[in-house]
Amino acid sequence: MMITRRSDRPFQWANAAFFIVLCFTMIAPILHLVSVSVSSPVYANNKLVVLWPKGFQLSVYETLFGMKDMWRAMGVSIYISLMGTLLCLILTSTLAYTLTRPMMPGRRMITRLILFTFIFPVPLIPSYLVVKELGMINTLWALIIPGALGAYNVFIMKTFFQGISAELVDAMKIDGSGELGVYARLVLPLSAPVLATIALFHSVGTWNSYFGALIYLRSKDLFPLQLKLKNMVASSGTDSGLDSIAVDSGILSSPETIKAAAILFSTLPILLVYPFLQKYFVKGVMLGSLKE
Amino acid sequence: MLRKAKSVDSWVLLLIAVPGLLHFLIFKYIPLAGNWIAFQDYNLFAGLFHSKWVGLKHFRFMFEYPEFLLVLKNSLRLGLYSIVFGFPAPLILALLLNEIRLSWFKRTAQTLLYLPHFLSWVIVGGIFTELLSNKGLVNQLLVGYGGEPVSFLTEPRYFLGILISLGIWKEVGWSMIVYLAAMTGINPNLYEAAMVDGAGRFRQMWSITLPSLLPAIIVLLLLRIGHLLDANVEQVLFFLNPLVREVGEVFDTYVYRVGLMGGQYSYTTAIGIFKALVGILLVMGLNKLSRRTTGESIY
Repeated sequence: MMITRRSDRPFQWANAAFFIVLCFTMIAPILHLVSVSVSSPVYANNKLVVLWPKGFQLSVYETLFGMKDMWRAMGVSIYISLMGTLLCLILTSTLAYTLTRPMMPGRRMITRLILFTFIFPVPLIPSYLVVKELGMINTLWALIIPGALGAYNVFIMKTFFQGISAELVDAMKIDGSGELGVYARLVLPLSAPVLATIALFHSVGTWNSYFGALIYLRSKDLFPLQLKLKNMVASSGTDSGLDSIAVDSGILSSPETIKAAAILFSTLPILLVYPFLQKYFVKGVMLGSLKE
Repeated sequence: MLRKAKSVDSWVLLLIAVPGLLHFLIFKYIPLAGNWIAFQDYNLFAGLFHSKWVGLKHFRFMFEYPEFLLVLKNSLRLGLYSIVFGFPAPLILALLLNEIRLSWFKRTAQTLLYLPHFLSWVIVGGIFTELLSNKGLVNQLLVGYGGEPVSFLTEPRYFLGILISLGIWKEVGWSMIVYLAAMTGINPNLYEAAMVDGAGRFRQMWSITLPSLLPAIIVLLLLRIGHLLDANVEQVLFFLNPLVREVGEVFDTYVYRVGLMGGQYSYTTAIGIFKALVGILLVMGLNKLSRRTTGESIY
């Protein structure tokens, strides 16, 4: 804690003002988007909406919620995030656990081999060919399996497991537990913080990415929300088919409002859980920073 | 008896580790070995073992190809600018935030500053293309105040600036967490002693906080420089369009477009190897330099 002097007052005021402005720039674009999405198309199309809605109406959300393919895309996103996170937790925790056990054969070498992949980047084209050879092109497995395990998460979890008291483990072993028993009944229950952190990072990461879907998927039915959205809003929105949606739904919506509403639709899950997650992810970053 | 139990333990442990080990083998080591195709004329139908061996042809081709030099230049420029502007930003922000005394204000500010990190590049891109497009809000305001409209998204000279500013906007709050965590570990007695010696605010920041953060700064900088040529492909790809390709095409987007889409697997794998080697050489060289001069290193 630094000690404050009276001469520091002007600096403190200026500093506080700076953060107020900065925070405003962080939320203003999102606020703008919300306002556009609930404004009447007449105002939205003519860019008259800045931070507050003009001509408040929710009809664009009716249009959007009526679009079956949006819901399907959201279903895909939820599915790959849940499955991917589950797989990530299973693979990461089992591997990290064995690397903390003295009885594990070759654990030093395995640790080094994992560290090696952290330093040498995995090349895109050969990875693509592996996924292709495994027959996962144009399946959701391509978005779930290849990214499920990474060196970084293994090391975070390993560090956490090493903090679990060795006496407890020994006591369980004397009581007749095998390695599997120690893992399932002692290590996992004690590791809720690190499991939650990694689950959070992995699920947000999967939810937000579109590159995997872009390279591995062909059929539009499988597209997750982010890729679908990218096709809607990218390239300055010139030829995105939004006009036809607007026409189909009558004059109640416009490309502007649909775009804004679709962006919010795909962010909603994250914005809703964000305040509750904060205490976890800050801890998580600190877990990461203690890695060495 | 005991030995038997121990060997059972080893087998059980190996069994538990198998799925993870297989994953590393299949998705990390096989692709690394797959770099092999850079030395072949890889043919989808002939496959890895029957494609024609061509030695260093693709590497020679690479250096003779003007497009490669353009992409190299763009990647270097994007990498350097994002380090020069993007690296100090979270550090400065963390130092300034550390000066905020009101804890509720500090907490609220932190929450809002982290927020953009959780938005995807599609969303951030969507928001800002909406704001910056030819008829977007920013241009409406420009025209409203008597200015000329600017094509932010299609003019090459604005491309880098937009990419780097948005990168900072999205990640600055998130990147500062590491520094904030390091700051909580500084001994408060140091500040008291400095205060008694008559050190003011900035003196304390300069002589106590910054030196305490130095190990973290150096490690993060080394890691960052190792990724000099790695762009965020989701970000660049979103903003890339034919009008800004001459400044915006970087290795990652080029490998995607020419390699994956265009089917030139061997040539773009050679580019991937070049890029990885540059990264590794940079990290190893700078690591050595840093260990000699400051005593800090990442391994």
